[in-house]
Amino acid sequence: MAELLQFVITGISVGMVYALIALGFALIWKSSSVANLALGQIVLISSWFTYSMLVQAELPLYIAFPLVIIFALFLGWVIERFALRPLIAQPILSLITVTLGIGYFIEGIVTFIWPLSVGALPRLFPKEVIHIGPAIISQEYLWVIGICLVVFILLTLFFRYHRLGIAMRATADDQMAVQACGIPVTRVFSTSWMFACTVAAIGGILISSIGGITQGLIETGLKSFSVVILGGLDSFIGCIVAGPIIGLAENLGGGYLTQYLWSGVKDIIPFVIIIIVMVIKPFGLFGEKRIERI
Amino acid sequence: MTLPCGVRNYNYAEDMAIVRTRTHWALLIGFLVLLFTTPLYFSNYWLSVFNLIGITLIAAIGLNILVGYCGQLSIGHAGFIAVGAYTSAILTNRLEMPFIVGFLAAGVVSGVVGIIFGLPSVRVKGFYLAITTIAAQFIIIWVINHWGITGGFLGIKVPLASIGGIVFSSEKSQFFLIITIAAICVFLAKNLARTKVGRAFIAIRDNDLAAEVMGVNLLYYKLIAFFIGCFFAGIAGSLLAHWIGFMNTEQFSFTESILYVGMIIIGGLGTSIGPIFGVVFIRILQQVLTMNLVPFLESTFTMFPSGFATGVTPMLFGLVIVLFLILEPRGLAHRWALFKSAYRLWPFSY
Repeated sequence: MAELLQFVITGISVGMVYALIALGFALIWKSSSVANLALGQIVLISSWFTYSMLVQAELPLYIAFPLVIIFALFLGWVIERFALRPLIAQPILSLITVTLGIGYFIEGIVTFIWPLSVGALPRLFPKEVIHIGPAIISQEYLWVIGICLVVFILLTLFFRYHRLGIAMRATADDQMAVQACGIPVTRVFSTSWMFACTVAAIGGILISSIGGITQGLIETGLKSFSVVILGGLDSFIGCIVAGPIIGLAENLGGGYLTQYLWSGVKDIIPFVIIIIVMVIKPFGLFGEKRIERI
Repeated sequence: MTLPCGVRNYNYAEDMAIVRTRTHWALLIGFLVLLFTTPLYFSNYWLSVFNLIGITLIAAIGLNILVGYCGQLSIGHAGFIAVGAYTSAILTNRLEMPFIVGFLAAGVVSGVVGIIFGLPSVRVKGFYLAITTIAAQFIIIWVINHWGITGGFLGIKVPLASIGGIVFSSEKSQFFLIITIAAICVFLAKNLARTKVGRAFIAIRDNDLAAEVMGVNLLYYKLIAFFIGCFFAGIAGSLLAHWIGFMNTEQFSFTESILYVGMIIIGGLGTSIGPIFGVVFIRILQQVLTMNLVPFLESTFTMFPSGFATGVTPMLFGLVIVLFLILEPRGLAHRWALFKSAYRLWPFSY
């Protein structure tokens, strides 16, 4: 029972982080229909940047965190401006592979600047454990869930009420009409990239403050695609619902299936979910089913 | 298709011929002679590079059929190569079958696995399919790492390739085996694009709905594409296994899959010459970077922490992929075509 509760809390918090990273994907997909496969590497580089700020430069958190946000915004702007903008209106194949190339490039930069293979962020959250019934739970997980919820709410409000948020939703809906209304579409694209990188960076900091910074973060980014797929590519609600589902499946499966299957089954569950969703319901739980015409 | 000056077609067979003038024949035969006498001019080190290029080329041709001709983006190609490599390794090592059985079985098993993971392609395409193949890559590698028969993380030894008593033990003999198979694969791929199946692939790539309306059976042809693409990957994997002699899953990482996509992009998607350019370009670049540039940087800039220069390789690869997509999306094959037409028309501009 205690075990189960532990798995559930861990699962939900890891799932929330997946959802955050996935949100970064959905933001870009919604506004510009570019599939960003470099998410994992963006998470990786922003975690290492945080490491540099907090551990190597020993800045206090209230200075380091804004710097990380600025770094992520800048990263998003650079990627959009120099790699994606020349490729507007290219076939989807180029758009996917260009993000793969960017990912590869970022991976190289990370090895170049931070050749250490493993780094550990200082503990950002209080360490004391909490007793919920019979279970002993690290407080970190609850903090992560809380922060993720705050970011979700902020983003939702932004998209609902802010001019730019509304412009982004409109762009997602119909690019031509938006252009006719005088909204600068390219600026919307670059804003969505900046936002996406920021959200992914926050997710990265949260997950690497618990698990450390390793190359495994790239895989975390890839795993978060299962959230996008399950939730539906263009749905924020989908991300928020599917994130915890994936996290739960991963942790419960890892907890209870390992004894029946081989070890490491935890890492593979999101990918299995991807295949299952593809076969059964390719457009996800909340995704819009696109009807194609010739 | 531009014809050389003064060449006319009198019947359909002539029109379809790949090699048509005396110059073509001379160039082709000259090239083949040069290719098969390569061991005379190069050291063992370069022969091993060429062997790697040959193996990569076979796999890249498969990927080009799948991505370039049929338009089904696969980012899990290294996974399918791994399937082939391990099938061959298990058959020849654990069950002590002859090499040729392992070789063919590698292709077939890999093809069947490809069909299984290609099934979603019936309903989805583009990004969804890319994600599915990424998932396939990770699932395959996980299974190989944990299934006892494959040797898991410890790896598995693979005996040398041998056909009818001839053992391919030296780098030189391996070269002949690999290059012969690679040449056959290039020939098959070139012709596949001109058959009914190849045309169906191209129709599916250009517009799958229109193709379906015209009577192309999408399910059948997409799965055929997956089978052929992964069959090539499988036999490449088998050759790789017997060439290296030892397998573990680190040789089939996700970055390797990305590199394969990069190769066919750089070479030129949907062309028969493209994969050759792409593979040679990337593998030579890789060799120069890891053998020359990285040690040089490491020894020159000692003030940086050690290991920093290994990042140069992925950085440059990423940069090359992005730059090619932006500046020359049709790849080196397009440059080659431009050069050929300029050469044909010289000294007139058109």
